[in-house]
Amino acid sequence: MRAELDQTPRSLLVSERSSFRDQKTRIRAQVEQLHFNYKVSVLLPECCSAPPHLDSIFNTFNSFYLIRNLPVYELLDKNFLETAVYQGSVYGVSYRTRIDEDNCVALTPKGHLTLSLDKDSFEILGVEGKPSRFNHRTKCRFVVSVDLTDSSMAPGGRGYQRLLTGLRSRLQLKTDFLLSHYPGGGASLQALLSRYDWSEHRPQISRHTLTDLSCPALLTSDLQSCDPHSFMEWVGAVDANVSCENSSSSFLSSLVCPEPRTTVSRALSVSVCGLLLPHDVHRLIQEIRCYLEQPHLESWVCLTVHGYADSPVSWGDNEHSVLKGGENFYSLLMFQDDTYHLHLATGAHDTCPP
Amino acid sequence: MSVFMDLNLSYTNDKSRMQSLIETAAHRESLSVPVPTPIKDLMEKLPIVQGRCRPIRVLNRLTVVMSEQCHFVSFSAYDLLAVQPATEKLFHVACFTLDVDIICISVTEKRPFIIKRSPVNGAVERGIMFEVSYSAAIRDSTMRRYTIANAVSLVETCKGKNLILSSAAEKPLELRGPYDISNLGLLFGLSDGDAKEAVSSACRSVVLHGETRKTAGGIVHTMKCCSETPDQQEAPPADSKRAKQLTE
Repeated sequence: MRAELDQTPRSLLVSERSSFRDQKTRIRAQVEQLHFNYKVSVLLPECCSAPPHLDSIFNTFNSFYLIRNLPVYELLDKNFLETAVYQGSVYGVSYRTRIDEDNCVALTPKGHLTLSLDKDSFEILGVEGKPSRFNHRTKCRFVVSVDLTDSSMAPGGRGYQRLLTGLRSRLQLKTDFLLSHYPGGGASLQALLSRYDWSEHRPQISRHTLTDLSCPALLTSDLQSCDPHSFMEWVGAVDANVSCENSSSSFLSSLVCPEPRTTVSRALSVSVCGLLLPHDVHRLIQEIRCYLEQPHLESWVCLTVHGYADSPVSWGDNEHSVLKGGENFYSLLMFQDDTYHLHLATGAHDTCPP
Repeated sequence: MSVFMDLNLSYTNDKSRMQSLIETAAHRESLSVPVPTPIKDLMEKLPIVQGRCRPIRVLNRLTVVMSEQCHFVSFSAYDLLAVQPATEKLFHVACFTLDVDIICISVTEKRPFIIKRSPVNGAVERGIMFEVSYSAAIRDSTMRRYTIANAVSLVETCKGKNLILSSAAEKPLELRGPYDISNLGLLFGLSDGDAKEAVSSACRSVVLHGETRKTAGGIVHTMKCCSETPDQQEAPPADSKRAKQLTE
């Protein structure tokens, strides 16, 4: 067998240590650049039920809308642009489309419309685009990226007309679409929603209480804690409810908690799933900081935010794709003294996180 | 990348078995699956691919197992035409002259002949793909050794280009998901990108090659128009339709 068999596809992990009080901290920008968040999980050690303030944050995450079979040219509708795109921040991503198989669409809050198209669709659309960075031998995927707030894409302009004609009569691209708007909520989207089959959804919250959880000891900001890879594996195992016992009688998991370890008698894991906005994640981080200011048995909280695996863009407007896994997520380990460890991770077909 | 495809399902006369095979393929997210009969006779409504909103696409394929050159006759009625040569001479003929889409590499016996680089390069230039089937490896451990050995020697010769991986499944349990098959490609010596292409873009190339086989040089496509009767008033629109087809 060849030696390459023990190599896994490339993945990137960027680790950063800083403090919320540091003026040069980039945490806000880093959180805001991951536009499409699918899941937020919080691990609270020595806690059996979420404190009320934290719970209220979970319950007040923005709702989002699912529009079935939306023709993509509707995102260029003049009324939609004026009431939603130009006014605030619209977050939209195509639903149930695979980035390595189908045509995917994303609308970022800055008004960038990104279409990740296969070769046939791109050729039929007839709009300027670039081959994907992650093409292998043949150019089979193309990315069309359009700034809807740019003057060349103003309604009536040449670029606008060409894209509109392409999406309306040549390609006729229709997908299920997840849409959210900040700050206005649904009011500015009503005109668009009313024309199609839509439903409003609240993010799904689930809570698990874990008992006798082994976790890495020395989780303090000043001491050198365990290496990022083992820590991320442990966080993932806890989130997925995978045992870290590594007992000889079980072959399901050989994951272990990194040494040195300690046991926490109980812990609470809360997950929120849906189209989650960076603004809500930021509010959650601030609330966790307030929670940590009070004295607790364990002085840390771990927050993990996962991006959509099939989104055409990950951080900023950087292209994202899937080779074997489309992970793009970050894990924020917060301490009582307002310091934090931030780990940003992506898979093979992705650019370096900020 | 394009949609995932499994281009080889074994045909049986048992209709319910074919239907369950196609339904499992849809569940495993394959999108095009060849069977050699009129598809509407097989199933009235094709199942939707898991996690998507469109139904699975089913094509017709013929595989000719050749032990003599006269065995091969070109059939344009099939969407895909495959040939499995038994000797080195026939392999040479298939790569350079025969009008086929796929050349199957035998996986059920020890390598019958050495695959040389020259016919492989000739086939690559003509757009013909080589196929390795994996279901024999699932059934039997000896077949598994032959599959891996034959596939590794093919990959060394063709350098991972123009290769497709398919199932040749007889039962639904012999089907595997597209990411599992691309992992299997790593065992055959393919790189990550090549292995994924072997179940997606390469299969798309084969299907397009099959479509162009029915045309003149891939440019002109003729279609039988619906009916000459009842009267000549139908003729002008049909002519313009044919002219439109010709210019496309």
